[in-house]
Parts: sequence; structure tokens; C-alpha cells
Amino acid sequence: MARVRTKDAAAFETLYDAYHRLVYGVAFRVAGDAAAAEDITQAVFLKIWTAPERFIEGNFGGWIARVARNQALDSIRRKSHAEAELSDAMPANDLLEERVFSEIDADSVRRALAQLPADQREPIELGFFGGITHAEIARRSGIPLGTIKTRIRAGLGKLRSALEGTVTV
Amino acid sequence: MNAHDAILDDVAVYALGALPPDQARAVREHMTTCPECTAEYRRLKPAVDAVAYSAEACTDAVSGAVVPSPRLKARIMDQVRGSDVPRRLSNVGEMRAVRPIVWPAYAVAAACLAVALVTTAFNISLNEAVNSSKSQIALLETQAKMLHLKVAAQSIELADLTSTDSQHYAVENGEVVRHGNRLYIAMQSMSAPPRGKVYQAWIMRKGGTAMTPSVTFMPDHSGVAVVHVPAAASQVVEVAVSMEPEGGSKQPTSKPAFLVKLT
Repeated sequence: MARVRTKDAAAFETLYDAYHRLVYGVAFRVAGDAAAAEDITQAVFLKIWTAPERFIEGNFGGWIARVARNQALDSIRRKSHAEAELSDAMPANDLLEERVFSEIDADSVRRALAQLPADQREPIELGFFGGITHAEIARRSGIPLGTIKTRIRAGLGKLRSALEGTVTV
Repeated sequence: MNAHDAILDDVAVYALGALPPDQARAVREHMTTCPECTAEYRRLKPAVDAVAYSAEACTDAVSGAVVPSPRLKARIMDQVRGSDVPRRLSNVGEMRAVRPIVWPAYAVAAACLAVALVTTAFNISLNEAVNSSKSQIALLETQAKMLHLKVAAQSIELADLTSTDSQHYAVENGEVVRHGNRLYIAMQSMSAPPRGKVYQAWIMRKGGTAMTPSVTFMPDHSGVAVVHVPAAASQVVEVAVSMEPEGGSKQPTSKPAFLVKLT
């Protein structure tokens, strides 16, 4: 990212090669449409090229995935003219964030997610990819809000533990 | 569950990004003074990032996603290398504005179909125009032939009427002319018949006992009439003209304007 900040196009290309599948995958999962996912991916990378200072340091993969998610949610909301309930399309990253997993791959995560109980996995996936609030998740599922929050916390804790056992920490 | 446990749950939802903005702000403020919640956030945030990785594009059936097209990279790098991003683009709509036009297959097919339909319609229209022109040309050719024949007939009439070989039989205001086997009535200063009336020629054939009806005619506005009598002149012994009702008569109904014997 340091070289990208100096407008090094070759460095930017390397960055694209490393993260475009993640960005596109998140965009596709949120938007549910290949053409929209490409537009969102293009928007995300061009934003990074024009405003690289928004990323400070830490877990770049987590940050860019969040940028992609928020960009996709904003895109959907613009199409449906809905008011933004979540997301800042390009959030400044949090200094608290750390790169915990030095190696992580989609297959490992999918396997770990699949091992979670459905009542924990579903609110997690709805909250992240569906872009809805915990209150909306509770309303849709007919489960009390407090229960939903507890299940999200429990599920994320299990996911972390599962990944610690399968990937390099 | 105590009150702080509830806040720890909120931290988890915050890490997931599923808190509304006002509650997210409250959690962030709380973490600045709560080491326990900050630690929980640090613990759970990597799991949220991992959730994102679960969607990383691949071609397997689990995610259902496919990899982006190679054109996407080319599009982005073209803009990056060409410094084609003069300012911060804030939304996808703007991105679309700088996106090169790549026609999807269905659009190309639709365009081709539209061109084919337009071309077909144009061809049909052109064929109709050509056919119409052909009809007009055929009509003009027929009219030209008729005009040519009329001119030729008039030329013959003129030649017959002026020929020194013709026989001229004078009548009041005109003459009857016989040239070979052709017979004419040539009149001048002929008064126009009243409405509903025409002039009609009559002929008496050799050996005949009664006048036979022949052509009807009208003088022009100057009172001139040159009429070819359709009969073999050699077989006609008398010619007469009378005024008759339109359409002609089988028998003369009025006193003849003239009657001349061709002797």
C-alpha cells in the first residue's frame, strides 16, 4: 500500500491481483449479480487508487472486504432508493484491527462456517452479507433481539477458535 | 447476564457491522474506556474478516460466484495508467460513466436483429417502390404506343385527306373523303349539339335498303370534326350524319345534317 500511495501503478496491479477475488466475491455475495459485482469491484479499486490514505495500517484484507461490502450495500440502496441504515462506503480502518491470521483461505473459512450451528451462522451471514441490522435480523427470524446478539457473539467466537485450529495464527 | 455482558454482545454485532450508526458510535465510545470490550472486539473482528473471505470468488458450487472477467482488470488498469481518475469517484454510477463500452452478446444480437429488420423493411419498401415504378412504366409504354398509333392514324388521315388520289364529296360545312378503302367525314364550322345529343354517321352499303348506324362524334370547340368511318369504303354507297341522343340510335331520329351519295 505504501507504493500505491505514491501512485505506483505496478504496485496497484499487484494489489489488484491479490485482492480482486475477495472484493469481487464479497460484492457478488451482497449484490447477487455478476455485472453489478464487477461495477462494485471497479469502484472499490479506483477508490483505493484515488484515496489510499483511507487505509492506515493493519489488516488490509479485512478492510478492503469491508469496503467492498459497504460499496455493494450502498449500490443496492441507491437502486432501491432506500435510506442508508448501515455502512460507510469507505471507512477509515480501525487501529484496533490486526492481521490475526497470516494465512487464510476461503475454503478453510467455508468449512469453519459450515461447522457452526445454523442459528449462529445464519444471523452472522445475514448481518454481514445481507447488510441488515441485528434488529432486522431478529424481526425477520422472529427471535428476540437479545438472543440474536448472543448467537452472533457466540458464533463469531467459535469461528475464530475453529480458524485458529486450521490456519496459521 | 449482567449489563456489561449485553454490551459485549453489542461489541460482537458492531464487529459484524450490523449495528445502526447511532449504536455503533456508542459502542466505539464505550470501547475507548473499556479494556474488556476492546479485547473482545480484537478477538472477534478477525472472525468477521474471515466471514468476508468465505465469499472470495471461485468457481466452486459453495459460493456460487464466478471469477471476474479479465476485462475488468484491463478496464481498471487502463484508467489507473491513463490517470483517467482525475478526482475521487464516489459511486458506482460515476464508475459506470468512465467504463468503456463493452457490448454484451445479447446487445450485439439485438442490434443485429434490429439492423436485419430495418434492412428487410427497407428492402420490402424498395421492392414495392420498384414494382410501382414498373407498373407506371408499363402504363406509360402503353399510353405511348396508343399515342404513337393515334399519331400514325392521324398521319394516315392527314395523308388520305390531302392525297391527290382521294375522292372528295362536298357537303355543307365539310366533305366526305374516300381514299382507297378508307372513308372519312371532315367537317368545319359545325355547331355543337345540345346537351344529351351527339352527331352520328350513317352508311348505306351496296345492295342495302336501309341506313346502317355508324360512329358517333362531337366537333371540337372550334367546330371541326375529322372522323374515320369504320367501314370498307368500296362497299359504301351513301353517307349521312344526323343528330342523335347520346349513345347513338339504331334508326335516324332526326333530319340528316347531310346525306351524300358516293358515286
